[in-house]
Amino acid sequence: MANVSLKHIYKVYPNGTKAVNDFNMEIQDKEFIVFVGPSGCGKSTTLRMIAGLEDISAGELKIGDLIVNDMEPKDRDIAMVFQNYALYPHMTVYDNIAFGLKLRKLPKDEIHNKVVEAAEILGITDYLNKKPKEMSGGQRQRVALGRAIVREPKVMLLDEPLSNLDAKLRTQMRAEISKLHTKLQTTFIYVTHDQVEAMTMGTRIVVMKDGFVQQIDTPKNLYNYPANKFVAGFIGTPQMNFFEGTLLKTGENVSIRFEGSEAEITVPYSMLYKAKPAYLDGKTKVCIGLRPEDASLTDEKANGGNSVIKVKVSHKEELGSETLIYGDINLENDSYGESSTRIIIKDSGERELQAGDVINVALNLNRVHLFDKETEQCVLPRIPEYNYLDCEVKSGKLRFLGAELDLPSAAQCPDLKGDLLIPTDAVTFDGNLKAEVVSREHMCGVNLLSLTLNGKRLYAVSHDCDEGKAIDGAGSTVNIGIDFKKITIISDGEKVLTPMPALNQFACSFVKRKSVEEVEESGKTKKKKRIRFGFTVGENFFEASEENSQKIFAALGIKKAFTTGLKMECGAYDLTVSDSGIAASVMEALDYGSEKFLKCSVGENVVYVKCSEDISGDIRLLPDFGKVGVVETQREIKII
Amino acid sequence: MEKRKFRSKKVSERITLAVIYTILAIISIVWLVPFFMLIIISFRGEAVGMSADYLFPKQWSFDNYIKLFTKTKFLTWYGNTLLVSAIVTVFQTIIVLMTSYALSRMRFKLRKPLMNLMLILGMFPGFLSMTAVYFVLKEINLTQNLLGLMLVYTASSAMQYYICKGFFDTIPKSLDEAARIDGASRHTIFVKIILPLAKPIIIYTILTAFIAPWGEYMFSSFIMLGDTDKYTVAVGMKSWIDNATLMSEGYFSIFCAAAVVVSIPITALFIWLQRYYVAGVTGGSVKG
Repeated sequence: MANVSLKHIYKVYPNGTKAVNDFNMEIQDKEFIVFVGPSGCGKSTTLRMIAGLEDISAGELKIGDLIVNDMEPKDRDIAMVFQNYALYPHMTVYDNIAFGLKLRKLPKDEIHNKVVEAAEILGITDYLNKKPKEMSGGQRQRVALGRAIVREPKVMLLDEPLSNLDAKLRTQMRAEISKLHTKLQTTFIYVTHDQVEAMTMGTRIVVMKDGFVQQIDTPKNLYNYPANKFVAGFIGTPQMNFFEGTLLKTGENVSIRFEGSEAEITVPYSMLYKAKPAYLDGKTKVCIGLRPEDASLTDEKANGGNSVIKVKVSHKEELGSETLIYGDINLENDSYGESSTRIIIKDSGERELQAGDVINVALNLNRVHLFDKETEQCVLPRIPEYNYLDCEVKSGKLRFLGAELDLPSAAQCPDLKGDLLIPTDAVTFDGNLKAEVVSREHMCGVNLLSLTLNGKRLYAVSHDCDEGKAIDGAGSTVNIGIDFKKITIISDGEKVLTPMPALNQFACSFVKRKSVEEVEESGKTKKKKRIRFGFTVGENFFEASEENSQKIFAALGIKKAFTTGLKMECGAYDLTVSDSGIAASVMEALDYGSEKFLKCSVGENVVYVKCSEDISGDIRLLPDFGKVGVVETQREIKII
Repeated sequence: MEKRKFRSKKVSERITLAVIYTILAIISIVWLVPFFMLIIISFRGEAVGMSADYLFPKQWSFDNYIKLFTKTKFLTWYGNTLLVSAIVTVFQTIIVLMTSYALSRMRFKLRKPLMNLMLILGMFPGFLSMTAVYFVLKEINLTQNLLGLMLVYTASSAMQYYICKGFFDTIPKSLDEAARIDGASRHTIFVKIILPLAKPIIIYTILTAFIAPWGEYMFSSFIMLGDTDKYTVAVGMKSWIDNATLMSEGYFSIFCAAAVVVSIPITALFIWLQRYYVAGVTGGSVKG
């Protein structure tokens, strides 16, 4: 019964293969987490790292409040169920379950009680004296579960426990494991490659591919708001339809063109408001995703024809309760192979269809998913990144949505008419523009506020901790402002104003320093040698905390720690101007109105520092080591 | 042609079997004749030496066996050999099992080089190092000493890891992992999980560990040179054969009796542990 926290976890094999990349997750107590993904995606490796069967290359793993990176599996208070059950073949079921308890030297009657209790929960009381080989697969897996639950672990780890069972038994065991989770009230981490198992069992699902986490969310959100094309295609059967096409925004409408088809669908812009602006230019190719149940057979006239597309039927699959119709939006094609024009429609199967029929299909574009064709990332995010607005700059004033703001000196630009990108988190709640709250949605720990400013839409996010600023919800009025250091102004395709980078980076290295200190011991001064570890940036030495040194050694090994190139990462707020520290020279003082920054050069790097005073010339910067990150340059591994 | 084509499967099968059995029979006769002779000659009552031109004794008797135990040092030698073999078996089995487990389960930097080195060293005949070994033993006063012999036999036992490691490799690693999570140390895993599952290979290791010193001649003859009380059976019996006078005095039939007595423990062990032995060899060879 504990939280599990994974921070920047990496698994790198000696030959350089990265099995797991920068895995970050906070698992709450009593959650049922499912790691899902195709084979070789690193899900089992992650689980085995949590179990302690595999070394962690870099990162921090916490179970409860303890950092367990270097702890033996038995001390981590976890239990694991293996795919091949891993029962001890020479022991009876009773001894199998009792083995761990015996090793912990519990008194005999206590062991007996626990074993019997576990056996009762799992319904294997009758088999206690049998050997594993006399039992069926399902029974063996129950024994394996029994062996895990008698230890009353903080975290239960299950590595594809149902893969070796037949389909019927699998469904049954699935329900039983879910029941067990409710009963035990323990944190479960479950690895599977079966998306049905993931969707039915998990409270949250981690989708992984090629060692990278693709998305962590609840089953419902994964299904409704996939973060990229992989997740969209992986979750849900039959899989989502993907088409290639372009989007063109003209006034208040957006027209969607499908590649390989004559069809063009026009929808109001409000439907696609959250789409990233760059994809609405009619040229950038996007991948349009639509689930089979969001397409339906229709009569063109009845619908008005707005979101109707012609499809040539090629074949169908009768599933009894429903029929899957396979067709192609390119009327020249057949759709036996997977292509960017194939469409699968989930239908009740009432209409008799023949191969070659051309039918009208209505697409429910309220539930459309858009992905970048190259990066496959979602370009219609749940929380939009930017507000994409028209703007005008005239004599130092920025006009947008009918409002007018003075541009601070650091964000000055010449008079122009262009586009304005305001990140949703750059809308602050302390300015003097009055906006109305239309709606408030809470998701992933933040609130998405839909505001109207002079009747025009503007999105903003507020974090839970800002809640004190009294955003009452729909209908209320808030004061908003703009954080100018985050906005971008584009004119004629060129960026006139770019935001200040969020992270400063500069080269550093990890070193060992020997020093001789004079220590007073029982009245005598003694010289003592001391070895200190720390980071050097330029000529400066910063002693590293014990914890940080250990992280470096754990990630790089003792020899390589001193020779590997490292980068230090910190935000503008984590650096302070001070008497000692990294030498820098001020290039420019930036005034963003409410905040002031210094743009400095450190070696070859440009660094931004928060500083309320105007200073020029050479200064020294002191990083706040509680917040600084360290990245290995070559492999881009975040160590601290 | 037509005929051949339609020859029944049964007939052709029978012909093949007949050929195979004939070959096997010839091989086994060649194989068994020396043993048969040995046993027959050991019951010969008359003292005729090696030159006798007949096989079956004119006078059947147990005299050779009685003489063997009463008039020669054979019993001492037999005791020596048994002692050496037993102790070597114990240590060699333990060392081989432990080495194999380590090489099968643990991953360390020199694992592969070490395994290759042992393989290559194993290709050199042991007697190449005999002189050196003798001088080392002489330095530490272990020549003409059974302890020295045991030391020599046990020293290279780790090199016998190969088949045993192959067997351990077939035991799923998830068993080790499950036990580790259950709280078992490496030692507990080895003793409580792996060894009970490795019975066939333990028997196999014991058998090979016992047989090697039991019949070994070269090292023991070298190390025990001159001290007849410390001879092992192989060395002692060879000394009879080398002595022409003894041979002519009828020691040949005693020699044969000794050979029979020597083969008894091994034969018994084999018959008793045969099924494990086969399981061990084949079990290890699947994924060796």
